[in-house]
Amino acid sequence: MALPSSGAAPESALAAPDPAALVASLAQSPPARTRFTEVRFSGLLDRPLILSGELEYLGPGQLAKHVASPWQETIRVEAGEAVIQRGDKPPRRVALAQVPELEGFLRGFSALLGGDAPALARDFELAVQGSAANWQLHLKPRDARLARRISAIEVDGRGSTARCFQTRDADDDLGILLVADLATIDLPTRPSSRRLQALCRGLVAP
Amino acid sequence: MPRPAERLRAPLLLAVWLTVLAVLALFALRQLEVSTDLRSFMPAPQTPEQQLLMDQIGEGPGSRLLLVAISGAPQASLADLSRGLAARLADDAHFVQVINGAFDPAQLDPALLPYRYLLSTTLDTHRLDASYLHAQLLQRVEELASPAGVLLKPLLARDPTLETLAIAERWAPPKAPMTRDGVWFSARGEALLLAQTRAAGFDPEAQTAAIGALEAAFHALPGAGEARLTLSGPGYFTARVSATTRSQAQRLGMASTLGFAVLLLLAYRSLPALLVAALPVASGALAGVGALALVWGSAHGITLAFGFTLLGVAQEYPIRLLSHRRAGEAAVASARALWPLLATAIASAAIAYLAFLASGVVGLQQLAVFTIAGLLVAGLATRYLLPHVLPARFHDVAELAWLGRAVARLDRLPRPRWLPWLLLALGLAVLWRAPTPLWQDDLAALTPVPRALLQEDARLRGELGAPDVRYLLVLRAPDANGVLALSQILEPAGAALVKAGALDAIEWPSRYLPSIALQRERQAKLPDRATLAVALADAERGLPFRDGLFAPFLDDVAAARELPPLTPAEFMKSPLGTRLASMLVPADGGWIGLATLSGVHDAAALGALTDASQGRARVLDLKAASESLVVAYRERILRALGGALVLLALTVVVALRSPRRAWHVLAPMLLATLLVLVVERAAGLSLSLFHLVALTLAAGLGLHYALFFERPVADAAEARRTLHATLVCVVSALLVFGLQALSTLPVLRAIGLTVALGVSFHFCLSILMARPRGGER
Repeated sequence: MALPSSGAAPESALAAPDPAALVASLAQSPPARTRFTEVRFSGLLDRPLILSGELEYLGPGQLAKHVASPWQETIRVEAGEAVIQRGDKPPRRVALAQVPELEGFLRGFSALLGGDAPALARDFELAVQGSAANWQLHLKPRDARLARRISAIEVDGRGSTARCFQTRDADDDLGILLVADLATIDLPTRPSSRRLQALCRGLVAP
Repeated sequence: MPRPAERLRAPLLLAVWLTVLAVLALFALRQLEVSTDLRSFMPAPQTPEQQLLMDQIGEGPGSRLLLVAISGAPQASLADLSRGLAARLADDAHFVQVINGAFDPAQLDPALLPYRYLLSTTLDTHRLDASYLHAQLLQRVEELASPAGVLLKPLLARDPTLETLAIAERWAPPKAPMTRDGVWFSARGEALLLAQTRAAGFDPEAQTAAIGALEAAFHALPGAGEARLTLSGPGYFTARVSATTRSQAQRLGMASTLGFAVLLLLAYRSLPALLVAALPVASGALAGVGALALVWGSAHGITLAFGFTLLGVAQEYPIRLLSHRRAGEAAVASARALWPLLATAIASAAIAYLAFLASGVVGLQQLAVFTIAGLLVAGLATRYLLPHVLPARFHDVAELAWLGRAVARLDRLPRPRWLPWLLLALGLAVLWRAPTPLWQDDLAALTPVPRALLQEDARLRGELGAPDVRYLLVLRAPDANGVLALSQILEPAGAALVKAGALDAIEWPSRYLPSIALQRERQAKLPDRATLAVALADAERGLPFRDGLFAPFLDDVAAARELPPLTPAEFMKSPLGTRLASMLVPADGGWIGLATLSGVHDAAALGALTDASQGRARVLDLKAASESLVVAYRERILRALGGALVLLALTVVVALRSPRRAWHVLAPMLLATLLVLVVERAAGLSLSLFHLVALTLAAGLGLHYALFFERPVADAAEARRTLHATLVCVVSALLVFGLQALSTLPVLRAIGLTVALGVSFHFCLSILMARPRGGER
């Protein structure tokens, strides 16, 4: 756990921020849009999948992900339901409660975008590393059902901007979602997960 | 002054009597199994439909479904409650299956997994070739990148074409409600479940137990406090109606017993007399139950209810004895004096009921044995036991002044001989012109379900797409696999009917398991390992899947090629097969399959399925079939009653040794019975089995009135005692059955009204027609 930054005013830029304050500072006012690039490493695959498109935050519990490349897909989450529209096929509806792991994940994501630290803390154990200029927020699922699928989430950012969402599945598969300035960087066809993680943590320049 | 030994005799006898009754009660309770299954009440089936109904009554899958709605809490908690309830009931022996829309892949038996290629319809339209596999794998890549990917990952290597999900979808109910929070919800926001009970839908006790288990499971759930549980379905109605009937009958029974006791206290002014007077009927009832236990070991609840009703006649015996006691005479002497006439009444009734034994219906034979045993024992107890335990002190009712005036007034009543004939003519005219159907054969109409509940049921049934409880499609084949093959053949014709709007959906047995031939056909389409490996390698080109990832898939397909097809017997043993098991039943040498129908709009159009199957499939209208059974039962009862009447007339003629005197006894009884029918028909009532039984009871009472009024009496005092006894009998019967006539339940009202009317008519007509005229005395 990060220590509260008590009486460390001069060094505050170097000390790890308070998780609650950090989450609150991330609040987006809906509707908020951002482009993304997602790299998914999986044990089932011999090379990572790279997707890009736009993310939308439309208010608590309402998210949308528009995939533009390498295929067209829109996933909308609202009222406890995910609606998946792929190409010109009829939309598929999935009730989130049917898949508690997904529901917890998306609820956490929504709380993060809404800057709702108490809601986030209900579903995850929060911890912060780094400094205000370059921080890593670690989320560890509290719910066993979610933990069976997702072992940890790491959000990396600078100041009040999140740049990376790293999701580690229980089977060690890793998804890295790059947003803000990282969304548009050029990536090699087979990026390495180590390099992307270093990028997220601000250890290397894009 | 009696000697001490004699003084002790009465209490000793009473103690012995009570002990015997207690032992008899214990024996009856232990030995007699009271069935609530309608089957043991009905006559033997004649038509194939009736046969099916008897096999299936209450066992059709549709009638065993309880519709469950949970409301009154936020959606998420309702969904949790729905899941919790389904989980708890999954292990409950009362239920075959509980479904709430949630799909749990863990439900699939791993041993059955390779069978997915034989169960899924995929191979009917596709082959596992390179192009199909490529299209499938492309979709999997996209899904893997989506948030849902975490869920598919565990399935992927083994089942890249997702046959498991295809099967789960096929097994979901044909017209499932919408899913919210992973479980079914109604448009009103209630969580919905379907629970199939093991017990027949029309078995009130078993249904009550299942419902109790369901409610207990629900209330034990965390968070159930605020939520409301609503149940519906045939089983729920059965349990509800039976509980209402029982509670109303009990309440009325208590009120009338109290009234009856007060009446007897007023009439005889002795509490001990009142108490011991109850013993003959109690002995009769226990003897009847004991006889049933000895002969059959079980009886239907309705048979018992009918029997107890008919045994009401026996309450007259002790009343006659109490009223006919003479001042200065021992009770034993009074009983001896009364006995010839009482014995005539008892014997003629008992002989009349012999006709029921020849009816060929077990229910009616049981009724006869119960009633005959009951009447004989009650009569003998009144003659040989009751006089010895009656208190010595009593009031001779002949001393009552008002009674003397009443007899005098009755003697002065004008009794025109043409009046009965006029009543007969008028009555026949009314019967002829009565507007409503003569018979009410829908037994359910006698114990109706409240309208609000029916509306709720229709709404939930619509939302859940739950099967119709009236219509059932019955498939016949020599074996279970034949039923599945027939079901497959008919599926297209059924789909056409659904499309044409004749009904909403059909749940075919073949939806759960294809016939062995179709499984073999699919099996033959599976490529061999080498071919599949080549096709898969081709399909994977350009896709990012790891080398060798799909080895389990290759293994499963190879295994599926070699599997012996899944037989119905084997499948029904697995947890997933319970649904099929409830749809396939062995019946007289062959097998029948029950396809449930939902939302039948045009029953006549369903005949197309019979045509398409060359008669091997037929629609069973459970309502029509059960009514035809009731008609058969009623016809047997009428025939038995006809026989009983002939026997009764003969017995009375022989006993009175005079056809003319017998006519005086029987004519008022017949006319009064007719007049009850006239009044009820004029009021627009249709007659049911219950009316017939009530008419029989009333006629039995009427026989007593006429017999006692017709009896030549030695003196005016005896005439007063006869009138007193008859008045007590009439008023008590009016009290008991008049109260029942006030019931809100048609079945109790039918019995109450009929007997109350009957008692009044029998009394009036006996006075008018049976009492000897002044000149004749």
